[in-house]
Amino acid sequence: MKGIKITNNIRKLRFFNNEMTQQQLAEKVGASRQTIVAVEAEKYTPSLELAFKIAQVFNVEIGEVFMCEIQDSKK
Amino acid sequence: MSYQEKRTLFTIISGLFILVSYGLYTYGRIQSGLNAFEDLKFWTNSMLMFIGLGIVITIIGQIVFHILIAISIAIKEKMKDQSTSEAHIEKTIQSEMVSDEMDKLIEMKSIQISFFFAGMGFVAGLILMAFDYSVVIMLNLLFVSFSLGSILEGIAQFVYYRKGLR
Repeated sequence: MKGIKITNNIRKLRFFNNEMTQQQLAEKVGASRQTIVAVEAEKYTPSLELAFKIAQVFNVEIGEVFMCEIQDSKK
Repeated sequence: MSYQEKRTLFTIISGLFILVSYGLYTYGRIQSGLNAFEDLKFWTNSMLMFIGLGIVITIIGQIVFHILIAISIAIKEKMKDQSTSEAHIEKTIQSEMVSDEMDKLIEMKSIQISFFFAGMGFVAGLILMAFDYSVVIMLNLLFVSFSLGSILEGIAQFVYYRKGLR
């Protein structure tokens, strides 16, 4: 059975958007800074709604923000 | 430490405080001979009193905690920039305390643990009754399992906030 790991480019995208802070991003998507920190650190996989909102803030496709890596769970 | 983590810690501490206070109070009363161990009215009154106390402490504590956090955020913002406007401080406080999907998910997962523990306590109480143990034991088991369930819920929330949900 293969699992998937969701990774993201949020740190990079924030950097290329005038070093947007996590707090600013949180305010724009209506989430808490804690949630943005967790998403960025890949400790929390956001809902589709939040993922789309984050992509909209950076004006990119959702696939440019979030990627999935196929993992073999038998480790 | 985030606002949510601090709030969770407060819930754990207040839950522990209530449980320990209940234990000390009832133990003291029984040991001093003021009440008999089999006095059901004493136990129900004590439990009701501590449930009420728990609600009051939680409400007052949350209000005081909220005010203290708001003050600390305001001071931090003022220290960063003396010219910060009141509106900006208010916005920062609100954004720090906002509750979103991750909070709700963490809450739901933690409540599961709480319900499981309380449910186990209830079943254990029924089993004890089936083996002819005193009703007092069952009542106390219920009270302690619900209280511990609530404390475990807080601990689970804290761990989820720290480790994240994947």
